[in-house]
Amino acid sequence: MFIHNFKYSLRILFKDRMLIFWTFAFPIILGTFFHMAFSDIEKNEKLDVINIAIVEDDTHKVNNIYKASFASLSDKNSKNRLFDVEYTSLKKAEQLLEDSKISGYLVFLEDVAKIFVSTNGINETIFKFVVDEIAQTETIMHNIFDTKINEYALSLEPHELEKLNSLYDDIYKEVLKMRENSTDSIQDVSSNNLSYTMIEFYTLIAMSCLYGGILSMIAINKNLPNMGSNGKRIAISPTQKFKLIFSSLLASFITQLIGVLLLFLYTIFILHVDYGSHIFYVILQAIVGSFAGLSLGLFVACVFKVSEGTKTGIVLSITMLGCFFSGMMGITMKYIIDKNLPIINIINPVNMITDGLYSLYYYDTMDRFYLNFVHLLLFSFIMIGFALVELRRQKYDSI
Amino acid sequence: MDKGVIEVDNLTKEYKKLKAVDGLSFTVYKGEILGLLGPNGSGKSTTINCILSLLNFQEGSIKILGQEMSPSAYDIKRKIGVIFQDVAVFEELNVENNIDYFCGLYITDKAKRKQYVNEAIELVGLKDFKKFYPKQLSGGLLRRLNIACGIAHKPEIIFLDEPTVAVDPQSRNHILDGIKKLRENGATIIYTTHYMEEVEILCDRIIILDKGKIIASGTSDELKKLATILEKISVEVCNLAPKYLEDIRKNSNVKEVCYDNHNLVITYYKGKNNLAEFTHYLEGKKIHYNRIFSERPTLNDVFLELTGKGLRD
Repeated sequence: MFIHNFKYSLRILFKDRMLIFWTFAFPIILGTFFHMAFSDIEKNEKLDVINIAIVEDDTHKVNNIYKASFASLSDKNSKNRLFDVEYTSLKKAEQLLEDSKISGYLVFLEDVAKIFVSTNGINETIFKFVVDEIAQTETIMHNIFDTKINEYALSLEPHELEKLNSLYDDIYKEVLKMRENSTDSIQDVSSNNLSYTMIEFYTLIAMSCLYGGILSMIAINKNLPNMGSNGKRIAISPTQKFKLIFSSLLASFITQLIGVLLLFLYTIFILHVDYGSHIFYVILQAIVGSFAGLSLGLFVACVFKVSEGTKTGIVLSITMLGCFFSGMMGITMKYIIDKNLPIINIINPVNMITDGLYSLYYYDTMDRFYLNFVHLLLFSFIMIGFALVELRRQKYDSI
Repeated sequence: MDKGVIEVDNLTKEYKKLKAVDGLSFTVYKGEILGLLGPNGSGKSTTINCILSLLNFQEGSIKILGQEMSPSAYDIKRKIGVIFQDVAVFEELNVENNIDYFCGLYITDKAKRKQYVNEAIELVGLKDFKKFYPKQLSGGLLRRLNIACGIAHKPEIIFLDEPTVAVDPQSRNHILDGIKKLRENGATIIYTTHYMEEVEILCDRIIILDKGKIIASGTSDELKKLATILEKISVEVCNLAPKYLEDIRKNSNVKEVCYDNHNLVITYYKGKNNLAEFTHYLEGKKIHYNRIFSERPTLNDVFLELTGKGLRD
């Protein structure tokens, strides 16, 4: 009987075109729109390599600090490459600037590094900031260096002063080496945070999971005598109510998982969304999220004594409101709710899903992920508990 | 017909202040078709839902096959089939799958179920529509599918709640023939309707309900004897002068005379040769008439006399 009802529940769910659209197609369509909308924003936010020129004169040739710094910042193999440097003459540098082929050029005038730019913009600001940083570092290094050398020179006898020259060279090389090995002071740190696209995709996954509630709600409704003649006919059959309910739930869960799987396949292989090394946990969270969605649908189906259309409205409203509070229409909302009304996000299943997914990126430990995971399970069991209490009722006052 | 298959005793069902069923008691005997006849809102469907343990009720008891009926009385439920007023099928399943689904809730053996499904399809005449989906069927065919879904598992007790509402005459005849066959196969049937013609054709006994109460019960002939009128003569006659109407009213057997839109209807309390006497009168007065016919009282007349309103009001 369990398999019989499961088989037909699955068939009924898959033949419901409207339902299939909302659970399978809609998240995919929405994902496509997200991809189209947010991938461009991200591209615009990435730092492009800045074209600059350095006038290669005698001063530059002997200034190892500048040489080493720009060599590091223009290294084609470095992920933090910031500049594409052309070493050239002053005349050519001026020409390049005039032709807008570079953002600016660096030249040493009386041993002082000067930059020339034609406009004010992000590239020019970064260029200036870098040169200022190097100049500051150079000054600090020279000061420390001179102090140390002078202290050492005072401790030497006059005939030992020749040692200073070789020591000078050794220290200078060592300092330069330290400079080269040090962490770059300027890095593109934007990729360390979650991108807009990923935030939206995680909310999309959460929304898709909660949409499973419509599947379970419809699958359960067909067994309830107060929801129509089909339910009455099923209710007077000699099949136990719980067998019918759980076989219908299993059918909707499998349908939901197929929907989520399609969403993952589409986002990974068509939209090329990179879930990174956490893909296993993302999928695990989606499975538990789907279970939570299903339990929500079961709860709404059993507890609310209203028409199927109204029940659908309730599940959709809870889902969309949950998505809104957890940041689907702007991540700021999540922070506002977290700060002012944290209880909402504590009981918001969408937030439990997305927060768990964000935590994979923001935290080094898995504690917060597992906390959300457990919260989702708790939420699911509470929903199922309420529904089962209501389902125990055997007769109705009116149907 | 001595064994009570269904025993309803003092059943009372209230919706807030409204008594939908008011102290109903009756017994359905093995192998009979019992008709519950009454206008819309008389409590027929509520009674069925209470018997099936779908609805709570305030007072009374219901026994089926000698056992108290309850939602968990699976042994009893296994022997029951129901055809509800509203069509109860899945739009997403074709005719064959719909019947197989509902039959499968009772019959687990696949081979046996397949045989039962085919027999049900044969019984309701849907052999050519097996692969059709409900939305592809006409209203009549849909009703037939509804019946097939309710009886495919060969129940001993069948509840038919207004199964012919909004059905074309061809499908109606098919459905009524099918119900007769079910009875021939030994089923006990409770049939609710507000179509008096159907209960007259089908039912061994009839219970007439109004406002949740039994107002009369018995066979069709027994019920008709409750009517005070004996005969009704209808005649089509043009421009009948008022003095002739007065003449007809003076006949001591006549209860009522109505003349409207060239149709004259005379109801008689008694008399043996009313039709002959009336035609003789018309010919004597040289009144030309077209169609003329005589009717025995109907269940609607009985209902009208008992409640002051028609069955379909």
